[in-house]
Amino acid sequence: MAAVTETGAAHRRRAQRLTIFAMTGPAYLWLALTIFLPLSAMAYFSFLTDAPFGNKQAFLTLENYRAFFQEDFYRTLMLRSFRLGAEVTFYCFLFGFPCALVLAKTIRGRWREALFLLVILPFWSNALVRIFSWTMVLRGNGVLETLVNWILPGTGPLNLMFSYPAIIVGLVHSYIPYMILTCYLSLQAIDDSLIEAARSLGAGRLTVLRRLILPLAMPGIFAGAVLIFVPVVGSFMEPRILGGRNGTFIGTIIEDQFTAVFNWPLGAALSFIMLGIVLMILLIASPALRRMR
Amino acid sequence: MAQVAVQEVSRHFGPVKALDNVTVDFADGGFYALLGPSGSGKTTLLRMIAGFDYPDSGHIRIAGEPVEAVSVEKREIGMMFQNYALFPNMTVFDNVAFGLSVRGVAKPEIARRVGEALELVHLTGFDKRKPHQLSGGQRQRVALARAIVTRPRVLLLDEPLSALDKSLRVEMQVELKRIQRDVAITTIFVTHDQEEALTLSDRIGILNEGRLVQEGPPLDIYERPRTAFAARFLGEANLFDITPGGAGGVSLGDGTMIRINGDTGAARQVAVRPEKMLLEPLSAPAPEGDSNVIQATVQQHIFAGSSLTYLLDWRDQQLKVFVQNRTGAVIGAGETVRLSWSPRDTVVLAG
Amino acid sequence: MTRRRISLPAIGRVYLGLVLAFLYLPILVMAAMSFNSSKLYRLPIDWSTQWYVALAGNDKLIAAGTNSLIIAVVTTIIATALGTAVSLVFFRYRFRGKAVMQLLLFPPITIPWLIIGTAMLIFFFWVGIGRGLHAMILGHVALALPYVIVVVTARLHSFDPTLEEAARSLGAKAWQVSWRVTFPWIAPGLFAAALFAFAVSFDQFVISYFLAVPGVSTLPVEIYTSIRKGFTPEINAISTIIITFSMALLLGVARFYRFGGER
Repeated sequence: MAAVTETGAAHRRRAQRLTIFAMTGPAYLWLALTIFLPLSAMAYFSFLTDAPFGNKQAFLTLENYRAFFQEDFYRTLMLRSFRLGAEVTFYCFLFGFPCALVLAKTIRGRWREALFLLVILPFWSNALVRIFSWTMVLRGNGVLETLVNWILPGTGPLNLMFSYPAIIVGLVHSYIPYMILTCYLSLQAIDDSLIEAARSLGAGRLTVLRRLILPLAMPGIFAGAVLIFVPVVGSFMEPRILGGRNGTFIGTIIEDQFTAVFNWPLGAALSFIMLGIVLMILLIASPALRRMR
Repeated sequence: MAQVAVQEVSRHFGPVKALDNVTVDFADGGFYALLGPSGSGKTTLLRMIAGFDYPDSGHIRIAGEPVEAVSVEKREIGMMFQNYALFPNMTVFDNVAFGLSVRGVAKPEIARRVGEALELVHLTGFDKRKPHQLSGGQRQRVALARAIVTRPRVLLLDEPLSALDKSLRVEMQVELKRIQRDVAITTIFVTHDQEEALTLSDRIGILNEGRLVQEGPPLDIYERPRTAFAARFLGEANLFDITPGGAGGVSLGDGTMIRINGDTGAARQVAVRPEKMLLEPLSAPAPEGDSNVIQATVQQHIFAGSSLTYLLDWRDQQLKVFVQNRTGAVIGAGETVRLSWSPRDTVVLAG
Repeated sequence: MTRRRISLPAIGRVYLGLVLAFLYLPILVMAAMSFNSSKLYRLPIDWSTQWYVALAGNDKLIAAGTNSLIIAVVTTIIATALGTAVSLVFFRYRFRGKAVMQLLLFPPITIPWLIIGTAMLIFFFWVGIGRGLHAMILGHVALALPYVIVVVTARLHSFDPTLEEAARSLGAKAWQVSWRVTFPWIAPGLFAAALFAFAVSFDQFVISYFLAVPGVSTLPVEIYTSIRKGFTPEINAISTIIITFSMALLLGVARFYRFGGER
């Protein structure tokens, strides 16, 4: 008994460590097996001459990375993907922010809850199916053409399918709920009395928006931008369905390496370059964000 | 019901000594208050007796049995939490019945004992309510009923009345005292409210910075505080620096000799309670006998109806005196007055 | 009332309506087309349920749908169990490395699925796990775990830990505390988390796409293949069913989990 007494607290700490380990171990083991080890394996593969399966011999090489820096083709596509990410993020902000503002600051009570739910409802429903649904609207002789000709008779045939704008429309549709959600969360945290105080000090609506609301909502805008920009840069399914032959991006090239060309090391290298650039952009952007706060 | 003994218990949190070699006995059936400012270690001590925390060294015994290796649920204690911690998903009945039902007590027996407990706290008929449908005082009664229904060996109360407003608090103090006497259970409660400690308990332990400063019946501690901290934390006190000066007398800083009862030893300070001082205009006849006398200047008075508090300046030191409002008159600021008190009321402080 | 607001409510409401129209237009069009008997989507719509009937006879899609359901159910069970255990630890204990562990939950959410999916493909192939149902379950659980942990942790934040202490002081053993006090409180959060996990898995396309093998695929993968091959109108029908199902699921989540934050 006495021996136990002396180490009462220590004994308890040991028991606690065991509990923590037993309860978190399975989940983190799972994550290691499915996320962290695969990413490491991918890093390894990106330096190989060939996928080391069967009797194939594979050697370490920098060839896959050199290919990216030597061939304009990949660089152009990478640039195109990042431009796509930037454009989609911008449009999501342009159309999503006012929507969040209206929701957070002018609509009250049960209506707000219901409308908010309506906005994010499509967000969890199947992304592929939602992209697919745009083909019904955008195709020649489709709903958009009919609609436009009904409003402005004589516009004539309108076929947006398999074009860059089609990809933009589809992606904005897919990702705008992210921006609305994050902006809404930071906007509704702004105390109304702050706005009233600014108005009482003689600030006009635009000044309040520029000097008060936008800076305070910046964390939400930034979070939304990250949540949109990162996956859009890596998108491949959306450009394929809505862009057709115009839908070649770095994402589709990477997909090809794994499903059609079977050059896994090149695909791995391109993936890592993409991830690296994304992380770099985030690193550069984060101090700027901190300054804004 | 049992005696609780804490022996040389220490507990460190990193470099902070939450408890430093504390020894204290809690008598069987007694009502004991642990009093101290926040961070004094009083809550740590209570949680150790409960079994939510463990000592780094030392022993805790309940009814003679060492419990350091016994986990909370096996210690047979009852605890009332500061926020009551009533289970929000259960009715009043289910809350009170919880301790019995986890022990596997038979249903009819549970119903009978819960009924008794609710009757004891005057909540008969509330059994179907949910906690959120109760007032603060009612919640507290439920928490109390829940803590005692299992007939624990010790009842532990963590700041039991702090969430209630003033008038309700006084009412609950009376209730708590009555119930504790009825069930005659060893009760230890933690509070930072000196009035609560004085009213409720039959013994008080004052803690400061992890150490037990003084311990004893409320009247003893109030009348004979041993340190400046105890004197000021329990009640209010005017403190004077002294230099020892022969038998039966010491001199204050300015050379004024005052008389005390007993020996000063190596003491450097004495304390006088504000209500023990007699405040009179200089024109009043000088006090008879061996009273100690000083002169001070009135700075300010605080009027509270039945009584007055005077703040006075004595040699750049602020003194406080409580006066019963007998005359309906007030002595204005700037006037010099005479303060006198009996040697018996001059408390010698150690350290 | 109106003068104090930043934007003019009337314009704001119209704008909100337009955004909602943009969000729902293609979905509604697709749903309408699934009832159009014209293979070339000719307008006006010639109402018919023939594509739904045809769907019932499409064994490939039905098999893929069954796979989707199996994967989603298994993912839900595993992810909810493992994730809840982690949330409880995060809630109950403070310990070194906790911040790192919380940070490690971000990669599955923030790294593009394309990269995660291809990385899984490489690794699983390499170490011999291979592709197929089991591989997809492995991947789906990893994606659902962070969501489960976030949702359950959010619910736990409103839980008063002294309730557990109170239960223990009353003599309840650890399992009695968990079952009778903690569980009833977090049950709505668990339910929401489970629905989340189900939705994440059921709608997952990218990961499944790389881990599917011919003959063993999921609905989204099957739909994608059909679209790229030159689709049949049955795809409209199955898509309409999926989207209705997903939205119903999310409405279920919303009953238990507040997205808006404010109350």
